[in-house]
Amino acid sequence: MIRIGLRDARAHFPRFIMSIIAIALGVSFVVGSFCFRAMMNDQVDQMLGSNTDHDVYVRGSTEREDDADAAASSGSDGSSSMKTYNDIDVSLATTIAKVRGVKTAEVTYSVSGALVLVAKDGNAVSTIGSPTMGIGLENGTWRSAHLTEGRWARDRHEVALHAFAAETAGLKVGDTTKLVYPSGPEDVKVVGVFDTDVSQAGAIIIGLAPNVAKELEEEQSGEIGVTRYIGVYGSANGGAPLSAEQQRELADRVERALPSGSKAHAITGDQLRDEYSQSLKDQLGFIQPLILIFAVIALFVGSFIIANTFSMIVRESMRGYALLRSVGASPFQVFSTVIVQALLLGLVGSGAGIALGWGMVRLIVAGMARMGTPMTGAADPGPADMAAGLLVGIVVTLIGAALPARRAATAPPIQAMNETVNPERPVWPRGVAGIVMIALGAASWTFCVAIANAGDGEPPTPLPFLNDLASRWGVGWPLGVGAGLIVIGVIVLAPALVGPAGAVLGWIPAHVFTVTGRLATRNLARQKRRTANTAAALFVGVAIVSCLGVVASSAKASVAGIVDSGLKSDFSVMSASSGRIPDDAIKAIEDVRGVGSVSKSRMLMGVTYGSGDDKDSAMTFAEQPSLFTKVFAPVTNSGNADKALRTGELVVGLTVAQDNGWQIGDTVTVNGKRVVVDEEATAKAQADYQAQVQSQAAALQSEAQRLAASGDVAGAQAKAAEAQKTVEDAKNVDPATLVRTKTETTHVKVRVGAIIENSIYRSMVLMNDDLAGKVNNENTMFTIMLFVNAQEGADVAALKRRLVDAVKPFYVVNVQDRDEFKSTMGTMVDQILVILYALLALSIVIAVFGIVNTLALSVSERTREIGLLRAIGTSRAQVRGMLAIEASLIAVLGTLLGVVTGVAAGAVIRLVYASNGLERLSIPWDQLGEFLVASIVVGVVAALPPARRALKVPVLDAVATD
Amino acid sequence: MAGRAGTDPGTAGDAVVARAIDLTKTYGDADARVTALDHVDVDFARGEMTAIMGPSGSGKSTLMHCMAGLDAPTSGRVVVEGLEVSSMSQRQLTKLRRDQIGFIFQSFNLVPTLTAEENILLPLQIAKRPIDRAWFDKVVDVVGLRPRLKHRPSQLSGGQQQRVACARAIMARPSVIFADEPTGNLDSRSSREVLGFLKDSVHDYGQTIVMVTHDPRAASYADRVLVLADGRIIRDLKHPTYDRILAEFATEGDAGDAAGTKARADA
Repeated sequence: MIRIGLRDARAHFPRFIMSIIAIALGVSFVVGSFCFRAMMNDQVDQMLGSNTDHDVYVRGSTEREDDADAAASSGSDGSSSMKTYNDIDVSLATTIAKVRGVKTAEVTYSVSGALVLVAKDGNAVSTIGSPTMGIGLENGTWRSAHLTEGRWARDRHEVALHAFAAETAGLKVGDTTKLVYPSGPEDVKVVGVFDTDVSQAGAIIIGLAPNVAKELEEEQSGEIGVTRYIGVYGSANGGAPLSAEQQRELADRVERALPSGSKAHAITGDQLRDEYSQSLKDQLGFIQPLILIFAVIALFVGSFIIANTFSMIVRESMRGYALLRSVGASPFQVFSTVIVQALLLGLVGSGAGIALGWGMVRLIVAGMARMGTPMTGAADPGPADMAAGLLVGIVVTLIGAALPARRAATAPPIQAMNETVNPERPVWPRGVAGIVMIALGAASWTFCVAIANAGDGEPPTPLPFLNDLASRWGVGWPLGVGAGLIVIGVIVLAPALVGPAGAVLGWIPAHVFTVTGRLATRNLARQKRRTANTAAALFVGVAIVSCLGVVASSAKASVAGIVDSGLKSDFSVMSASSGRIPDDAIKAIEDVRGVGSVSKSRMLMGVTYGSGDDKDSAMTFAEQPSLFTKVFAPVTNSGNADKALRTGELVVGLTVAQDNGWQIGDTVTVNGKRVVVDEEATAKAQADYQAQVQSQAAALQSEAQRLAASGDVAGAQAKAAEAQKTVEDAKNVDPATLVRTKTETTHVKVRVGAIIENSIYRSMVLMNDDLAGKVNNENTMFTIMLFVNAQEGADVAALKRRLVDAVKPFYVVNVQDRDEFKSTMGTMVDQILVILYALLALSIVIAVFGIVNTLALSVSERTREIGLLRAIGTSRAQVRGMLAIEASLIAVLGTLLGVVTGVAAGAVIRLVYASNGLERLSIPWDQLGEFLVASIVVGVVAALPPARRALKVPVLDAVATD
Repeated sequence: MAGRAGTDPGTAGDAVVARAIDLTKTYGDADARVTALDHVDVDFARGEMTAIMGPSGSGKSTLMHCMAGLDAPTSGRVVVEGLEVSSMSQRQLTKLRRDQIGFIFQSFNLVPTLTAEENILLPLQIAKRPIDRAWFDKVVDVVGLRPRLKHRPSQLSGGQQQRVACARAIMARPSVIFADEPTGNLDSRSSREVLGFLKDSVHDYGQTIVMVTHDPRAASYADRVLVLADGRIIRDLKHPTYDRILAEFATEGDAGDAAGTKARADA
């Protein structure tokens, strides 16, 4: 029996090609997604092993609910899933360094995104996705990094570059270039090049002098004298990493040495690496499900194609099976002849799929390397990935083949000769089930919107238990559950929709092509389940893309809306790197001819509101009193925003007001930070330095005397000269490096003067410059945005050119006119969409296979009917037309369902996230229209192969089957 | 309009609707050649119902298929309404089927997704020809399908289905209707209805019908009966009675040898 099955498989091979392709695609997505995730995880682990390589870390002992710094930098630094702890005092490092077994204990200062390196060709080095990092490095601070040339940086005008950075920028030791600090570009000399064992995934890493990095980090975080971590290297292995056991011992010793009240806790390096790795992997985790959705589509269509293919084969071989049965083959034996073919098909398809998936990931890695993000993570599928792919492929094939095989096995020989097709079971139960699911999904979405719209204090629904759920789940769960229910509901409902949809959609073809249109429409309703399943493949893909299309288009429209409705100034100026605009750049802009006024938005670092444990942070900006008249028209919720700003009251964004329960007239305590020179500490530092220089010089002098005494005159002279030089150097040292600063906190009580709801101000608190000066000072306030108004009657285009020229020396400062300001968002959104369209294209290809296959099956079942039609005068073109209309209707049905569901989902997402910048709903009608037109084309193309097959059968053969 | 020349007054007077000239059809290759038609010459007269009879494998179906352009002859010619069918392209064949030829098959005559009425009108709509409502009403009344017009084929009995098929064939008023065992699947009562209707259409409206059957009862409705054996016409009977046809088949066993059959056919 198995031999018969294998022989049949060989005979049917051309039939199987489509099934093999579908299975291969599905499996390749599965394997590829696992592979890709494994590669990313591997990369993450490698990078952590290299970049977070201390043996023991000391960090705060209490977990923080809400990380003020993350919120202040708008929460986009990606540490969302990482727990944060209280900061610890940097002085602990000195204590820890004395613990037995500790080689070094220090704080590694680093800043991400605040610096821009200028390449040899004079352009800023830009990277895709990966940041530019500045890390304070000297001997021993980073074990995994080793100098390959030169030395570490010693001051602000020296850098050591990571090998990748040096290569990308075309710089080598001894070159001079510019480094754009937050305060402006400065000349720096490349004094060294260092390398790490693993690729840094395209990050540009700049080794700074430790004190320079410290300043930068303090400036960026607004925190002084505290840090999140102190890194400890152990000395047990002579500089090599400690084993897990040694790490634990050292961590315990360090823990015991920590003074009580330091609120610090020592953990092993492995523990921190695990935590980091988990959080990074969680962040990257969304990629795999996204790929898997498309894998599911491919496999769904695949199993469906297989079911169709086997139905055809079984139908055609019925007489053979009847013969086998009548000579004594058991049903199981007949079943196995079919299943053997399916197994073979599954094996071939999965094998091809594994290879394809592997290739895809390799291709992605190669593509990323080309784009400047080299990966060293392993990109090859492990045995488990391959087994998973193989299993999925074979199971899907067997599921697809099981029903036809059963039909072959159980049909009594008599019936095998009979052509009658059993009438389809009614589809209304599926209709009811589908509608119920869609209704539940819609309810879930309504709930979700209610949660999103509910203000502070007012519950989203009148039902308490729902409110409980709301507070526990947030908006994400109801949104996802609703989407899932609706998508599955539509798939369940679809067969019941085929009839009505055929009548409605078929109206045009039935009137344009009277006969063929009507025949096509009626044919679709014959096998409603089959038609619906075929359309479902397209439905899911189109739904996803339509949904994202609506969200993307709304995001663009919302930004454009802000500009159109509110922005009054002619230009906006932003920095591409840290967000801080150098003071010199501001001055340069103010000096440009034709500039009428320049409004500065200055962000206040580390501001909190309230007192005691209720402190809440919020993005706080200092603005000029003319903000609302010259830059942005306020969308006022309550109060008079312009007056409030001018009179030194707070203007609060709606979201902030709701979160804190503030009303107009409330008085709020604003807690600020000011960094001031610590006179006492500075004096001490200077004294210490002097003492150190003195003792060093004295030591050299005494050495010189000793040498002189022993008769080494030359040596003595050299030492004396060295002592002399030490003293000279000390005179030349920049006194600024000896200035010690301290942070003062301020508490100012201010009245809430207005609440506004402009989307860009929604989560901000605004105050005027005078008030800001009381809360923070120059050292804790940075200009991050400028709005420029042209002089009355100035030529705006010419002014733009002059402004661009003026900021050119600062490399990172961008001047945008109103249209450019609108399109910044747009281009970003478009880039993301390109990837999705690629996936859509793939799912369309798969869907086309599905349609081709369904029609092929349908044509094979209707051989006689088509023969009859031909006999009574239907032309070949009419037969082709009929099949093309059938295919197009299937495609249009799937696309329409997808567009409707996708747009609904997109609209709900927009409603839910309206306060996060999706103020306007914009449906990309032209794009959706293109989908529809494309679906008709898809249908026409998909109908070609089945039509050829239908017309190949001579009329006589079709009619006279005896 | 050239294809419809047959209905023009100029040629309508031609008494011969379809003609086979030296028609030969062989199947298989040199090793296993089967001769289905062996140099057959035959004319079908206008306004006549001709029955083609013969045992299985006698070539009766092949003759009809070649006449109707469903099958291409190995040699010889087929002419329908002055048009040479045997050399036609697919496009011309389609036109021929639309304008000159009607079909009634033994089974599976109707498109299952269309109602009886839609099935009857299908050939006209495919050919995009205007529908003569009066003629339609007449045909429907004659076949007695008025109450069943909105039914799907699956809701009709076998006899009703064949009557729909007849109505469809006649609706387009083709030059000739080819019927392949039209009563093969019917009980005797339904057979009588269908055959009576076909006969009436010949007598009342001058329809030409060529019918293949192996049922002597069905053949007895015809104006002329051709008997085939081994690819040749062995009898050409005008207005035979049922008994005459039965008698023919009773002797058929003796007439097995080719020489004898040929002699009688020539006579």
